[in-house]
Amino acid sequence: MVGYAFVALPIASFLIFFIYPLFYSFYISYFDWGALGKINSVGLGNYREVYHDFLFHKALRNTLKYAAVVVPCQMALGLIMAVTVNQALRFRTFFRAAFYFPAIAGSVAITAVATYILASDGILNAAIGGVRGSTYTHSWFGESSTALQSIMGLNIWTTSGTMMLFYLASLQSIPPDVYEAAAIDGAGSWRTFWKITFPLLKPGHFFVAVLSVIGSLQVFDQAFFVSGGGGGPNYSTMTIVLYLYNTAINDVRFGYAATLGLVLFAMIFTLVLIQRLLFGRPEVS
Amino acid sequence: MAGPPQDLPPVPPVVAAEQLGREGKTAAGTPPPAIPGRERVDVARRLLVYGVLFLIAALYFVPFAWTVSTSLKTLPETVGFDLIPNHPSFHAYDNALTTFNFKRYFVNSLFIASVVTLTNLFLASLGGYAFARLRFPGREALFFLVLGTLMIPNELRLVPVFQMLTSFPVTHWSLIGSYQGYFVIRLVTATNLFLMRQYFLTIPKDFEEAAKLDGAGYFKTYLRVMLPLAGPALAAVTILEFQGTWNDFFWPLIVFLGDKSYYTLPLGINLFRNQFYTQWPELMAVSVIAILPIALLYVFFQRYFVAGVTAAGVKG
Repeated sequence: MVGYAFVALPIASFLIFFIYPLFYSFYISYFDWGALGKINSVGLGNYREVYHDFLFHKALRNTLKYAAVVVPCQMALGLIMAVTVNQALRFRTFFRAAFYFPAIAGSVAITAVATYILASDGILNAAIGGVRGSTYTHSWFGESSTALQSIMGLNIWTTSGTMMLFYLASLQSIPPDVYEAAAIDGAGSWRTFWKITFPLLKPGHFFVAVLSVIGSLQVFDQAFFVSGGGGGPNYSTMTIVLYLYNTAINDVRFGYAATLGLVLFAMIFTLVLIQRLLFGRPEVS
Repeated sequence: MAGPPQDLPPVPPVVAAEQLGREGKTAAGTPPPAIPGRERVDVARRLLVYGVLFLIAALYFVPFAWTVSTSLKTLPETVGFDLIPNHPSFHAYDNALTTFNFKRYFVNSLFIASVVTLTNLFLASLGGYAFARLRFPGREALFFLVLGTLMIPNELRLVPVFQMLTSFPVTHWSLIGSYQGYFVIRLVTATNLFLMRQYFLTIPKDFEEAAKLDGAGYFKTYLRVMLPLAGPALAAVTILEFQGTWNDFFWPLIVFLGDKSYYTLPLGINLFRNQFYTQWPELMAVSVIAILPIALLYVFFQRYFVAGVTAAGVKG
């Protein structure tokens, strides 16, 4: 019974700040709700609005576009780095540390660094200008044609190290005798990778993919920072979460923002459910 | 009160930390037997592999080198793109810390990261111990509830938490724009509690039985026997939570909205960039100020970063 005393505080904190918000979100999503409270009941009106909301569709498209590029790139890079540092190499500790390093920096600080590198008078343009032999002054975050792509590149760079760590954990679960058998059969390293390592990593691929998709669906900090919170230029960096934030904090439309939160929750929940059904709970720790 | 007996086997560290922190051993096992005549091809291939690896590593590091370099320059000098500044000076740091108030933001970041880390260490280990060792009705259901919170994204919590902090139910406290408002929503995470529980499960029961024979109560056993044995897990929680809070942008943005005296480094950098867009030396200096403490932690406690991240990922 003394156990209740031990878990009382953590459980209370989870109930108040996680479980209650979930149910409260369902409740409030049936109302038009402003700064001073309930305005009127709209039934499924907020859900209908999500369906027809032009700006939300833009945010959804941007976010999905972002995920479609970032997820495969992160996975491929993460896998290559993991397989590499898992070899009997010299300096492997150094390489692993180097590949993971961008991931430890805070999202805002690293985005600040990126705005410098990608500024119109920044170093990337200086390099491009040097190669082309003429000055180049494209503003990567300032033009709607490249703003979202620049965030994609930034996040592929910063989070592929994290994916590497998950792949490393997954690689260590492959029994070494499988490789010994392959070596005895005379399989080269290329063949061994495609015929043995890659297929055996299937649960790992799926785990990393789901994690990467969830992270991509929640992209916010970088988009907020480069656009000053507005999702510009021309809504090209408006993401689902940035739109949700603006709806809640700037427009003070709590009911509609909660509805957007539930839509995002449903997307993430479905993904996790699929993963659990296919592979069970991952045993990494 | 007995300390932990000395002759028992050492406690296994967090498995993830152990696996990933271990050097020398690779999953690939022993290399295949050498084939005569292959050596020269192998040497060429190894050189290529190392070349590519160093190139990627350089790509991952160079932006940071440029950040540090620019932070030591004056604005006119940034036009030149030399990696080594001609007249390195800490002028930009001085300017950022005093004129632009980053001393305050730094102290705020340090303060909230320390408090959040402490509450997480205490509550995660307390709950983790109970879920690992104590028996009580509904234990499994409650643990399931804890893990369930991992499915609830921050964004879904934004509106309810914002409303709660604006006017707390029943008591009507206004916690928006206060440290308490931030602390209360980050008291403990399920990831940390899960990490602590998993670790406590690996500690042999003999330790607690020795304490019980000495007449120690549950809390005393937790405090004097279990906590001292959980060093690696506590270290992983410390790193994970300190780094997470130090780098946090989302919740400070919502809780400290509008009151600059509470601003943390990420909020300060965001403010600075909105006001002084192209003051590159200062912007890079404040980025270094934000990244350097975590980078130093990383250099010294790499294996706990890895353990924490891997455990946090399991939440999915």
